[in-house]
This record gives sequence, structure tokens and C-alpha cells, in this order.
Amino acid sequence: MKLIKEPKEVDFLIKSESWSETDLADFRKLMQEIKHRNKLKKVSSVAKYTKTKQTRKLA
Amino acid sequence: MSETKSNFLDFEIDKLTNSIENTLTGEVFKTEIAKVSWKDRSLIKKSAWLFDWHIELKAALKEVLKLTTANNPDIIQGLMCFEDKKDHIFLHLLESAKFNKGKQKLYLGVAGNLVAFACKISFERNYEGFVAFDSKTALIKHYEKTLGATHFRGQRMFIETRAAKQLVTKYFAS
Repeated sequence: MKLIKEPKEVDFLIKSESWSETDLADFRKLMQEIKHRNKLKKVSSVAKYTKTKQTRKLA
Repeated sequence: MSETKSNFLDFEIDKLTNSIENTLTGEVFKTEIAKVSWKDRSLIKKSAWLFDWHIELKAALKEVLKLTTANNPDIIQGLMCFEDKKDHIFLHLLESAKFNKGKQKLYLGVAGNLVAFACKISFERNYEGFVAFDSKTALIKHYEKTLGATHFRGQRMFIETRAAKQLVTKYFAS
């Protein structure tokens, strides 16, 4: 396991402001795109796996 | 405590999950994360923290979590406040305890551990690991490098599925 450490001279601190409607809308759009892309990747890797398995069976 | 160390970016390899490292001894301690409610407010002394955590404890939509070492649950190492935005987790505040700040900080990894836990919550709530937050300008590069966060715009940042998976795997593999 890796331990994720901040550099010794740096303090990680988060203080978020409320995101504007525009920021939130744009972020949600981008997030949907990434989620959709991830889904397609998953489907494609499952299809690839199934195809390989079938090919092996036939051989 | 058995551990294997190797240099890879800023990470150190160890065999423990969800842990923090003592900067003086290099010893690694297992950690626990638990919810803090209004009735636990006496655990958080206002003078010991930069942010007013009592305000966060009162907020209906926000959840506050504390990180402690497993063998010393009375000493809070760090606090995090987040909100469930129904499609992602939004981090409002994250702060390490006073003794974990500055050049003399006692433990390393407190913030990373808490952010990883936020990602874990995001997965558990079916948000695919997405976590959003604001960063100080000076910290953007550090968050990109150590947490795999993506700079969105201005001070806005987020952690997407792949980076979130890595963080969760690193801290909460078991």
C-alpha cells in the first residue's frame, strides 16, 4: 500500500466557497461526459473479454 | 511495524492501509475515521482549530468527519466537512490539527487519508468517486501531483473516477 503524503513544507488545507450556478452546471456536464466515457470503456472491455473467451472456446 | 519504502514521486510504500506517518520516528499508525455530531462538539476546542467547526456541526446538509489514530481515538488528527450533492461529494473544509501543520508537523498523510475517504463515500453513494473542492492557488499543483486531482477552473478542482479509485485502493484496500 502507498501512503499519500503532503510535502513536509506544505499544509493541505481546503476551504471551499460555494460554486456558482454556472460552475456547477459546467462541472456536472463535464462529470457526465467522464462518467459516460467510463461506461463505454467498461462495455468495450467486457465485450473484448467475452470475444476472447468465445474465440478460445472455439479454438 | 514492518514496512517497505521506495521513492516514487512523493509517495512511500508501506504495507498498511489507511494510515499516517510520524515525521519524527517514521512509524506508521493505523487510523480511524468517524462521524462527529453536534453532541460531540466538546471534542473540538475552538482555539485549537483555524476554522470554526462548530458552525459546520450545526449545518443540516453538511457532515463532519474526524480522523484519529486507532490506538488514540481521543486525539483528533484532522477534520473534514463535506456535503452530498447527489451526484458528487463536495468538500467544504479540510484541516489538519495544529500539531500536524507547519515544518514541525507530527504526522504526514492526514489530509490525503481524509480525501481518500471522501472518494470512498462517493463510490459507496454511486457517484463514481467524484469529489469537488476549491484549492488555494499555491496548492493546485500539489493536489494534482499527490491526489491526482484535476484543475477545473480558477480555484475549482475535482477528483474523477480513476484518481479516486487509486486513492481508495491506496488507503482502503482491505
